[in-house]
Amino acid sequence: MQDKNIIQVRNLSKNFGHLEVLKDISIDFKEKEVVSIIGPSGGGKSTFLRCLNLLEKPTSGSILFDGTDLCAKGVDINKQRERIGMVFQHFNLFNNMNVMRNLTVAPVKIKKMEKEEAEAKAMDLLKRLGLEDKADYYPSQLSGGQKQRIAIMRSLMMDPDVMLFDEPTSALDPEMIGEVLDVMKQLAKSGMTMIIVTHEMRFAREVSSRVLFLDGGKVDEDATAKEFFTHPKSPRLISFLDKVL
Amino acid sequence: MSFFEQILALLVRYYPYFLDGVKNTLIISALSVVLGLFSGTLMAVMRMGRIKPLKWIAVAYIEFIRGTPLMVQLMFIFYGLPMIGITFPDVSFIPNFSRFMAGVVAMSMNSCAYIAEVIRSGIQAVDVGQMEAARSIGFKSGESMRLVILPQAVKNILPALGNEFVTVIKESSIVSVIGISDLMYGTNGVIAITYRSLPALAIAAIMYFIMTFIGSRLIAILEKRMNHAR
Ligand SMILES: Nc1ncnc2c1ncn2[C@@H]1O[C@H](COP(=O)(O)OP(=O)(O)OP(=O)(O)O)[C@@H](O)[C@H]1O
Ligand SMILES: [Mg+2]
Repeated sequence: MQDKNIIQVRNLSKNFGHLEVLKDISIDFKEKEVVSIIGPSGGGKSTFLRCLNLLEKPTSGSILFDGTDLCAKGVDINKQRERIGMVFQHFNLFNNMNVMRNLTVAPVKIKKMEKEEAEAKAMDLLKRLGLEDKADYYPSQLSGGQKQRIAIMRSLMMDPDVMLFDEPTSALDPEMIGEVLDVMKQLAKSGMTMIIVTHEMRFAREVSSRVLFLDGGKVDEDATAKEFFTHPKSPRLISFLDKVL
Repeated sequence: MSFFEQILALLVRYYPYFLDGVKNTLIISALSVVLGLFSGTLMAVMRMGRIKPLKWIAVAYIEFIRGTPLMVQLMFIFYGLPMIGITFPDVSFIPNFSRFMAGVVAMSMNSCAYIAEVIRSGIQAVDVGQMEAARSIGFKSGESMRLVILPQAVKNILPALGNEFVTVIKESSIVSVIGISDLMYGTNGVIAITYRSLPALAIAAIMYFIMTFIGSRLIAILEKRMNHAR
């Protein structure tokens, strides 16, 4: 079970006009893996992540999600996206909905879950976060850390097979980073497959099973977390780690 | 007689001219904004859509209307349409119906372009992250629009739409030149009878102001309600 590939990236390239952002990347992600992606700004980390659920359309190559080629004609991308959760740097909670509706709108409208059932499930998640008193709040009334934890729960409400995180703590005040990372750690422990773009080196080292170094549109290093930080091989990674650690 | 007394005297004697004018001005403005809202929504959809020819038509229309005077557009409709064989029928129970329709059509076509831009910018002012979050959780593009983007866009659009209504009330005074009996037309009528142009114009100005002031207050209240509701 541990060995089943959930996402297979094949010869993925992405250009923005003349700018080649991703260059022929092929890589696999296994079920229950927690993979961190680090790299310098502009290296293509966000673009790579956004290609995995087709928020960006690959220029060439393919993304196989649980065996389905997401770029193939006739594939219902909306159906596939239900199974791929995404957490953004700027939370992107639906501003016109309160917390409860943010959590329940997708399961109710897309999965046709009963409203009561969805609300009970949402309440359960909120209680675990200690945020049950915030159910009626609107996003503008929440702190960054609260927003991001609720955004994670919004994705979890759909019972996704994979969760993608794009710098989930980069827009947070330092004192709120911990509470979000804690939720992510619990999620990792529960066996969720996670792909995380992050600048939190300590978190990457503690929680990930694997770490990728994405630089200049290529995966320059792909190693276990321990190997990655203690015996980096790529010269660019070595100089990158020198700078950030 | 003081100026104030002159105004009062005109009002007492000729108030039906003014009131009738106010009524017609309001009817024309309301019709124009409602028709402009429907056609403007359609125009905004065309402009933001993916079908290139429709997009070009919308852009050309919007730019052209916004780049030419309403007076010219009105004349075009009033004199031009009959020349190419389009006439509005005269209806017995509404006097001057064909003139009236020409005025409404010209005002609506004008409003359409402005409202299309109001709607477009209201939608585009919604953070792109909202659409991305909706799409990435599995909503189709139409659902994302309906559930997430439009409810937020409405908050940007409504105040601007209110401004458009106020603008239309003022701009509609131009239809008096093709003989529609709006407030301006009524005012000119009173001037022609009495030769008292300044007091008559003062009355017109006050009445226009009352209409626009009430209009913008109503919109402000509506806006506040909406902010509370969320
Ligand atoms: N929509 C876009 N249009 C044009 N260029 C883009 C677009 N999105 C990203 N780019 C460019 O692609 C390159 C990679 O961007 P990307 O956001 O993937 O980098 P990143 O590794 O996530 O950086 P950061 O750490 O700053 O978030 C950058 O040069 C960026 O300017
Ligand atoms: Mg990024």
